Amino acid sequence: MATLHLVRQSAFATNDFAQCLSVLEHQDSIVLMDDGCYNLKHALMDSLIKRVDGTVNIHVMTSHAKARAIETITTIKHIEMKDVVELTFNHSKVITWQ
Amino acid sequence: MTTIDEKEAISLPQENGLAIINSKAPFSSTHGKDALDIALIFGSFEQNVSLFFQGDGVYQLIAQQDGSLLSVKDYLKTFSAFEFYDIEDIYVCQQSLANRQLGENFHISDVQVLPSIEFGAALNRHQHVLRF
Repeated sequence: MATLHLVRQSAFATNDFAQCLSVLEHQDSIVLMDDGCYNLKHALMDSLIKRVDGTVNIHVMTSHAKARAIETITTIKHIEMKDVVELTFNHSKVITWQ
Repeated sequence: MTTIDEKEAISLPQENGLAIINSKAPFSSTHGKDALDIALIFGSFEQNVSLFFQGDGVYQLIAQQDGSLLSVKDYLKTFSAFEFYDIEDIYVCQQSLANRQLGENFHISDVQVLPSIEFGAALNRHQHVLRF
């Protein structure tokens, strides 16, 4: 019963990403898209990567990050919109954080 | 009475011009574009305009962005026209940059990075403030 979390807001501006992390479970997946890409540089992301230790799949939309001149991290999977479609089929439900 | 009024006017800190605060990231809303349009309109009527970038608004100034990847018109490129509109006072909140792990690599020059107190003082020198 894994959940796909679509994170679309900057954690520097809203509380959405923090709320997402508070309900996150093992085997869930996160996709950072739109302003959510800014969260790569947020302290919450550093602590998340340490906490989940690979049990949560973290993805980022390559084009969205590149448009914003955000340096991405190698431990995070780079995906495109067609991969998001596939992820929605591989998870039992989707939550959009926006 | 007139002399007293004049003295008071002189002793008050001089407030003039328009301050525009940018507080939103560039691509997910039209706030940044709207602020730019207002700034250029005031500039073309030779009104004093200063720009302030605070919070997620600092992302609007970061170099190497490319809105075309998102199929949106990249209004950030128009920032380079500020000098032709005599918009020369551009202030960035240092704390906002630090929080976001951003360096001072901006796509326009003559940007002043100010610590919080000086940023607030610069803002308070203006008579009118619009926030986007």
